[in-house]
Amino acid sequence: MARLGMLIDLSACVGCAACAVACKMENQVPAGASRLWIREREVGTFPNLTVEFRPEQCNHCENPPCVPVCPTGASYQTPDGLVQVDYNKCIACGACVAACPYDARYINKKGYADKCTFCSHRIAKGQQPACVETCPTYARVFGDLDDPNSEISKTLKAAGRQDVLRPEMGTRPKVIYLNAPSKKGLTQEVTRHD
Amino acid sequence: MTEFYSLPNTGEFWHWTNALHFVLVGLAGGMALLAAILTLRQHPERNRYLWLAALLIVLDLFVLWAESPARWRFSHVWLFLGLHPSAPIWWGAWGLALSLVATLAVVLKPWVGFLRRIPEQLPGLLLLLGSLVALAYPGFALAVNTTRPLWNSMMLFLFPITALLMVLAVALLLGSEWARRWESWAAVLSLGLLVAYPFTLPEAARTHLLHEGLLGYALAGLLIAVAALLFRNPRWAAALGLAGAVGLRWVLVMVGQFQSPGL
Repeated sequence: MARLGMLIDLSACVGCAACAVACKMENQVPAGASRLWIREREVGTFPNLTVEFRPEQCNHCENPPCVPVCPTGASYQTPDGLVQVDYNKCIACGACVAACPYDARYINKKGYADKCTFCSHRIAKGQQPACVETCPTYARVFGDLDDPNSEISKTLKAAGRQDVLRPEMGTRPKVIYLNAPSKKGLTQEVTRHD
Repeated sequence: MTEFYSLPNTGEFWHWTNALHFVLVGLAGGMALLAAILTLRQHPERNRYLWLAALLIVLDLFVLWAESPARWRFSHVWLFLGLHPSAPIWWGAWGLALSLVATLAVVLKPWVGFLRRIPEQLPGLLLLLGSLVALAYPGFALAVNTTRPLWNSMMLFLFPITALLMVLAVALLLGSEWARRWESWAAVLSLGLLVAYPFTLPEAARTHLLHEGLLGYALAGLLIAVAALLFRNPRWAAALGLAGAVGLRWVLVMVGQFQSPGL
């Protein structure tokens, strides 16, 4: 069985947000909610200054905290490791939204919890997720992490440092970042969203 | 400086209606516990508390139903028939349902034939079990979210204790003198937890609590403190304790939706 994941090469990401737009269009994400967003942050001080463009979305964690808190089994993991929501079972209680360490979920006004599905409807047809297909710099690679011949496995094998968001949470994300511009990993900062 | 193209979903996901639920479920679970104890002890006041418990459970479930954007799916109670013991809400739903059934079994006994054959101790024990689950569930529902530092393991104590303070205050306001001593103890315990809680938080979370919820937290603390120390007028103490406990639960639910830093 496949173990699907995604890597994002931050040295290739130019922050164009084409992935965010493609996601919105492909999945008809309602206004005011996001399945995918780009965090832009300045790193360092002049003259050693760079900008980190970091796309973020559901990490399809191997230990997803959003799944066990679901009282109806609407949030579940597929055999190939995707974290999905069965909209017909969801009661929109918000327990999974509260549990997600990545702010990846929201309550759709239609009455269910929603988030990135890795475009499972496209995967089922043998296509790539919309964000991968639309990326003009090929910063994203999607595939089977357990297949040593897949592009994602080969790229990860050749890569140096690999980072994931909030590793201290023990969620084992399957969205993996390469080449963080700080060279010390992903930037961290106390942020407020007023 | 951090900017975004599109935004992470950091907004409020539980609104005032959810905060109201966290108050009502405390009242419902606590009232069911009082009713269970009074039923098991064959107390003459038990019927009043059984009816109150049933009313509060129904009211709480109605609020949950009315506020849900999945209103019609929520009415499909069979979704809860699956086994999901790691989900506090699953326990809460079963605790409330069991409490309601047990309560109705006792109060409807005089009018329903087959219920007369059941000894009152049986639904009393079931009510005790259901009420304890309903009492404990809100604290667990918050504490499982380890990503939200304001909802730490103190929730496991703060929510049941403040629920007891609320229902004992109601009992005192209804003239049940047996509640007086217990209400004072619940107020003192709530006050102790309220004072200790900020010291159990990481600095960023404490700053957030003081920044976003200082007024509500301080006011709730003041009301509970006065309730804990106001022995001369138990009715005033009860009213203030009730208001303080409601305010404290409200503040913890609303302000606690703070995502910890680290991204």
